Amino acid sequence: MGTNTLRLETLLIHGGTEPGPGGATTVPIVQSSSFAHATAEDLEDIFRGRKVGQVYTRVGNPTTESLEKRLALLEGGIAAIATASGMAAITTAVMTIVRSGDEILSSSSLFGGTFSLFRDTLANYGIASRFVDPTDIEAVKAAVNERTRLIFVETIGNPKMDVPDIEAIRKVARAAGVPLMVDATVTTPYLARARELGADIVIHSTSKFINGTGSSIGGAIVDLGSFDWGNAKFPHFEPFVKKYRNFAFTARARKLIHKDFGACAAPMNSFLLSEGIETLALRMERHCSNALQLAQFLHDHPKSAWVNYPGLADSPYHEVAKRQYGGRFGAVLTFGLGSKENAFRFINGVLLAKNLANIGDAKTLVIHPASTICADYGPQEKELMGVTEDMVRVAVGIEAIDDIMEDFAQALEKV
Amino acid sequence: MELTVNGKPATIDGKEVLDIVTLLAELKVEQPDYVTVELNGEILDREAFSSTTVKGGDSVEFLYFMGGGR
Repeated sequence: MGTNTLRLETLLIHGGTEPGPGGATTVPIVQSSSFAHATAEDLEDIFRGRKVGQVYTRVGNPTTESLEKRLALLEGGIAAIATASGMAAITTAVMTIVRSGDEILSSSSLFGGTFSLFRDTLANYGIASRFVDPTDIEAVKAAVNERTRLIFVETIGNPKMDVPDIEAIRKVARAAGVPLMVDATVTTPYLARARELGADIVIHSTSKFINGTGSSIGGAIVDLGSFDWGNAKFPHFEPFVKKYRNFAFTARARKLIHKDFGACAAPMNSFLLSEGIETLALRMERHCSNALQLAQFLHDHPKSAWVNYPGLADSPYHEVAKRQYGGRFGAVLTFGLGSKENAFRFINGVLLAKNLANIGDAKTLVIHPASTICADYGPQEKELMGVTEDMVRVAVGIEAIDDIMEDFAQALEKV
Repeated sequence: MELTVNGKPATIDGKEVLDIVTLLAELKVEQPDYVTVELNGEILDREAFSSTTVKGGDSVEFLYFMGGGR
């Protein structure tokens, strides 16, 4: 059966896989730094790009290559690059596109690490970022200028839980002649495939739902092959467009930025992430169903001041999320308890849920963002990111929902 | 047909002319979905692989951006 006719649930298990040594059905973990070749001529051909072959795990590894093929196929992309972490994926992808003097137009509702990269780190290298509410299309349009070289959004803002209309943002990006990069970590290809969303480049922190058990850190860049890099705004792509045509982005990333920055995936992690892919559909179904039930429970609970989850009918993002993500709304939600003290009492009161900085684990996770992952930001920035002092973020796991609700109910009694 | 492939002489028996898609299969070129093909110094568009033909005396280069040294 051709992979292009398979449904996503089947593609997750069979897509891009090849029989391993001796008939192995899982990808071998090739734990080798470098790869020997028979002759000097062979290695010369590989270095010149005339022949396919592995040289050094920083630039390519068979276990990682297998993961890359699977991820590209899942998103409907033409190629993928697996990286050491989600932040490595964003850094590599963004640095492939922008140069000193360029600007990034970014959603203001961002994961804290991405916000710090854009606002602080890249600014030190002459790359400025403009932050804009991604749900206000007129504001997005107005923020484009002659220096804009990239538009960046998250499929569901973490932790703001806002949902941009990606098709509308794609139109703004097309009109501006710049690519649209979408971080789809919280939705995964199960809720929406990047090709259908209209992204040009997709980012995943594969550490989250793709891994699924909190066992390894990883990231991925998927190239949809949809952007015309021959555009005059990107003269640095010219040699890559000439030689590699619609693979220009991946070629520039691989031959320069990914190779030079060196944030490569570890083969062991690539193996664990490949294993995670196979159960993604089942897990996401349970994650999303548990999250919706927990959101409704919190919504109706007298101790909770507010709940923010796009699956709730009173969320201002409910309709757009429903349309884009097939009636599923992800597994991250936030709720308020009126004060920081109450939020701490709740977190100290849960028995099953873990207090830690992550999402996308099988286990239910809770955190107080204002004092942890967003602690470095001032009041104005916290407001932009939708972070309040009384807010608890929950990454809902796949335990029995009644146990999660009972755990939350007993912790709320302590508030 | 005698061709120059990646700088070395290559013979394809029984064919006088063939398109790039067939050539990739005949020469068992690895990862055909990712290869760039240069015909007599000109890079070909992927969409043109099935409509572009090679004949005796042509020079063909296959280039990869993945694997390898880079």
